[in-house]
Amino acid sequence: MSRIFHTFCVALLLASTVKAQDAVSFRADIAPILINNCLACHGPKKAEGGYRVDTFERFLREGDSELAAITAGNHDESESLRRIKSEDEFERMPLEGQPLSAQETALIENWITQGAKYDAEDPQAALATIVPAPTHPAPPETYPRSVPITAVTFSPDGSQVVTGGYHEVVLWNTADGAMIKRIQNVGQRTFALRFSNDGQHLVAAGGAPGRLGEARIFSAATGDLVSVLGTTSDVVLDAQFNLTGDHLAVAGADSSIRIYEFPAGNLVRTISSHSDWIMAIAWDNEGKRLASASRDKTAKLFDVETGELLVTYSGHNNPVKGVAFHPDNNHIYSAGGDNKVHWWNSADGKKAGELAQGGEVYKLEKIGGVITTSSADKTIRQIDAATQKEIRNYAGHADWTLSSAFHEATKRIAGGAFDGAVKIWNAEDGAEVLTFVAAPGVK
Amino acid sequence: MQLCKLRTTCVLMITGMLLSGFSGNKLLAADAQLDRIEVYPAELQLAGVREQAQLIVTGHYVDGSIQDLTRVATITTANAEIVTVQGMVAYPQADGQGTLNVEFEDKTATVKVVVTNQQQPQPVSFLYDTLAALSKNSCNAGACHGSPSGKGGFRLSLRAFDPKLDELTLIREDFGRRTNSLDPDNSLLLLKPLMKVAHGGGRQIRVDDPAYAVIRDWIEEGCKMDAADVARPVKIEVYPKSGRVLKKPAVQQQLSVWAHYSDGSLRDVTPLAVYSSSDVEVADVDRNGLVKGLKRGEVAVVVRYLEFIESSFITFIEDVENFVWNDAKVNNYIDVAVDGKLKQLKYLPSALCTDEEFIRRVYLDVIGILPSLEEVTAFAANQDPAKRDKIVDTLLERPEYSKFWALKWGDLLRLTSGQVTNEGVYKYYRWVERSFRDNQPYDEFATELLTATGSTFSNPAANFYRTSKDMNDCVETISQVFLGARLQCAKCHNHPFERWTQDNYYGMAAFFNRVQRANTKRTNEMFIYVSQSGEVTQPRTQQQMKPWVPGQGDIENPNEFDRRLDFASWLTQPDNPFFAKIEVNRIWSQVFGRGIVEPADDFRDTNPPSNAVLLDQLAKDFVENGYDRKKILATILKSRTYQTSYQPNNFNEDDTKYFSHYQPRLLSAEQLLDAICHVTQVAETFSGLPAGTKATHLPAPDLVNNEFLKIFGQPERQTVCACERTNESNLSMAIQFFNGPLIYNKLKSETNSFRKSITDGKDNTQIITLLYNLAVCRNPSETELKASLDHIASKENRVEALEDICWAILNTNEFLFQH
Repeated sequence: MSRIFHTFCVALLLASTVKAQDAVSFRADIAPILINNCLACHGPKKAEGGYRVDTFERFLREGDSELAAITAGNHDESESLRRIKSEDEFERMPLEGQPLSAQETALIENWITQGAKYDAEDPQAALATIVPAPTHPAPPETYPRSVPITAVTFSPDGSQVVTGGYHEVVLWNTADGAMIKRIQNVGQRTFALRFSNDGQHLVAAGGAPGRLGEARIFSAATGDLVSVLGTTSDVVLDAQFNLTGDHLAVAGADSSIRIYEFPAGNLVRTISSHSDWIMAIAWDNEGKRLASASRDKTAKLFDVETGELLVTYSGHNNPVKGVAFHPDNNHIYSAGGDNKVHWWNSADGKKAGELAQGGEVYKLEKIGGVITTSSADKTIRQIDAATQKEIRNYAGHADWTLSSAFHEATKRIAGGAFDGAVKIWNAEDGAEVLTFVAAPGVK
Repeated sequence: MQLCKLRTTCVLMITGMLLSGFSGNKLLAADAQLDRIEVYPAELQLAGVREQAQLIVTGHYVDGSIQDLTRVATITTANAEIVTVQGMVAYPQADGQGTLNVEFEDKTATVKVVVTNQQQPQPVSFLYDTLAALSKNSCNAGACHGSPSGKGGFRLSLRAFDPKLDELTLIREDFGRRTNSLDPDNSLLLLKPLMKVAHGGGRQIRVDDPAYAVIRDWIEEGCKMDAADVARPVKIEVYPKSGRVLKKPAVQQQLSVWAHYSDGSLRDVTPLAVYSSSDVEVADVDRNGLVKGLKRGEVAVVVRYLEFIESSFITFIEDVENFVWNDAKVNNYIDVAVDGKLKQLKYLPSALCTDEEFIRRVYLDVIGILPSLEEVTAFAANQDPAKRDKIVDTLLERPEYSKFWALKWGDLLRLTSGQVTNEGVYKYYRWVERSFRDNQPYDEFATELLTATGSTFSNPAANFYRTSKDMNDCVETISQVFLGARLQCAKCHNHPFERWTQDNYYGMAAFFNRVQRANTKRTNEMFIYVSQSGEVTQPRTQQQMKPWVPGQGDIENPNEFDRRLDFASWLTQPDNPFFAKIEVNRIWSQVFGRGIVEPADDFRDTNPPSNAVLLDQLAKDFVENGYDRKKILATILKSRTYQTSYQPNNFNEDDTKYFSHYQPRLLSAEQLLDAICHVTQVAETFSGLPAGTKATHLPAPDLVNNEFLKIFGQPERQTVCACERTNESNLSMAIQFFNGPLIYNKLKSETNSFRKSITDGKDNTQIITLLYNLAVCRNPSETELKASLDHIASKENRVEALEDICWAILNTNEFLFQH
């Protein structure tokens, strides 16, 4: 099985065959080598030998040895290269690991000879954020087993239900569960799926645990990749359009929120305030504030314009996993590990009420005036966002429900479960209309 | 990067040192004559595609010695299509029968192999393979993800004691991000310990580790939980069993570990077991179960597979040049047992101590104080060859004996006025003291304590349940004092290194949870009684626990009025494996400064006795003589072993645990204070206590506030741990002897020993002789006397010169140490 798949990096490296005279790109050629071979020991978590390679600037800076790490144009006075090429296995980098290939070593050597130039914008940017978007491996033709359904949404017209797969996004017929289309070149796992307001773009946010996070923008019509935003070194867990659809916020395991103009894709602002993963984000009704839910047991509220932290809500005392604005724009819903939905005042963070759920809440979505929650009690709950009344609950899944979606026009609710099953219900009467396993080839 | 280089250089140097030392395994001398070779297991069944078997080849020599030939013998398969061998491990290939041929020198042996079930899948067991693999790589160790809050957002149960939690964490938490069953090698659970993704714990696994394959295959199979009817391990067996003796240079031994399953099957779990050495100076054991001796001595190699723990004791011996046994005197069975060990390890016992050393030593050990000038003189003059035995018997009948030993038990029973009130502590102390004075059998003493009820005033033993404030305190106190087991860990999880499980903890608790404590109308009195109901619930499993004791298991029909009776009755059975051993070891450690098991209250597989035969025989003697504490103490004191000199010889200098010579130790705080008073003849006054009360007779430390005692390690008695009384030296101690007020005032006292002697008209020689006899039980040597007299002559003020001399004597090691 493993031979079919390669991590994006391996694919990337194989693709780049280099001759001595070819111009070597730092972001395309060097940064991926550093990420895959050096960063684990020489990064922010573990700066062995006082040396880090997590940004271009640090890569050039000497470590405890006080020997020049990289000397532009002179690979003989570049300690990092010397250690990579060393014949002495107690000295050679990576220590105790596979030595770099001759090709990789040649790339670094040539890049130094060519002047050790930086071809991205910010020399202090994390390497993960500057490497060109990788081409992801193809999904398996048929799955040996299902995967947890961590993201589900409806197409704008409601005729299709879209789920995150393994290295793909799959579109299914809402009426009969037939597979319609597979969008490839997607990260390993997808945690949020959003259509743009005009329905032309589909955002798939996710990545590979511990290695990559990104939000990929696809053409909804063709499934072609349009752009990649918010690249980080661990998974992106949520992406949300503001109400007018001209901005996209992306957040995840790197604890930051990045706001982009859409579809232009230029980064407007980065907000870093949480101390742990951000599990979910929500825009207010005017596009002025962003709320966030984090594993650091708080929900926070920020001013979009300034990035300023407005309010911190700590009432859950547990990881917070979902967040949404009240239609009145003055209250915020949040939910998580305490098995409850809370709502609280956005002006002062005072709790205004709570609603018990049957288990840990994994996601909370708001579409129109309807909130849906998915939780460990295998149930999707539909809550009136204005009155906090539970309108209906949708049981029947055999495993934790991890994701949910509501389609207003067709009155359909979808729920995805850990065991790979997707169920669709009629929100008018609660009747289950369809169940299928959202994994190609698995019944 | 320079740092990295330095570190690797150090590693190289250390490795080099190890190789050049005892550990470099060589075969026995070429002239050793091989009698036969033996292979373990002698027959092999490999019933599944994942099975394998570590083979162990042992050479038996004509002279009776043995050595591990596992790495040098040749093993070949006669049927490669059925079974293959790689690195002394057999692997199945196809159903059928085969033979392995083993050869070394001119000897051969064969192993019959039956291979079955090669046509059917053998799924990885979550409980017995995957969790064991995580334990093997220390993922769930206390310092890593096994800590209560985990590490880096990833929490495992400590040593996999809670598989339900681990299942959740590994497979489902955070949307199942840790495992990737569509591409198992790209699972975070493997990428992190490989350091392909930054991992705070660094590199912990290699792709070719057996544990890697287990975890990887388990993920590939879809992270399945075990079927309900899967066979579970019931015990493990380690080969070779305890008792193997390896002689330098053949000091390597490969171990193999076999798990027995509930369906009767056997599996080799050598690659998944975890190994540790009880004494890393004596032998090292690597992650593959290869033991390497480093110097002569004994170790318990402790083997852990999931919650199962077994040890194999291995003795390492070597020839010592010019070693000839000196036929040391044998006084009783103790010396026979000690000599057995010394002969084997080639240590020579030291000569007997002098009479002066003996009288000082035995006084301090039995009654805690120094002998008077008259006693020293009389003993020196006594020509009776049995005088040492006789003085032991005499001392055991002295009133100070019971007071001094009540001080020792006062530590264990936490006698403080803070815990049992001022009034209570005197009563409790007198109860303990009387038990020693009357020589109450130890089983009765323990039973009286453990089953005590009523008023703490009229039945002081009931204070036991006053100091043990609740159920948890009872379990922890009783297990440490009477079972020599530190059970605190098992309150929240299975003990990480020992057999004790969380179930055991709460099973023991079910004896004591019904004890009730009520204040009475009388101030400071408490009433202890037992209620007739109340059960213990194990907090993790929510199971109601039956009273449980080690070895016997659940007590099915406990006494309906007082379950403690069942516990006390089990504890004091003659064949109880803990009770007698712990007490004789404690008594031994009191007079040797070191237990046969050390620390004396820490009995566990990972801490074996330094002389198991000795401990067994002492315990047997103790039981057979009706738990007579005076008698066992007398037997110990009368042994030659107790009476050896503290001075080592050329053949025992580096022995610290086999009792070849006496180990000097600092006097305890109370002994030291009494000894200073004895030399200066100026008594210490303790406010609130009768004049003349000795420090060694204080009922509780918090009745007085004596800075000197605190500095020298008087325990506060907050725990039952013997370790609370420390005799580690520190700077404050030195300062006390340099210019502390206590010694200064006694030296300046107008009525002290030397001033009184001056008044009595004694000359300088007489006074110096007196001081030496009081302090170190002997006359000064000529040099010492001359130096002292010269010092007095050089000073204008005679009495100040004598102060100097007395102060100097108090500062000698000979005075400060028991030797």
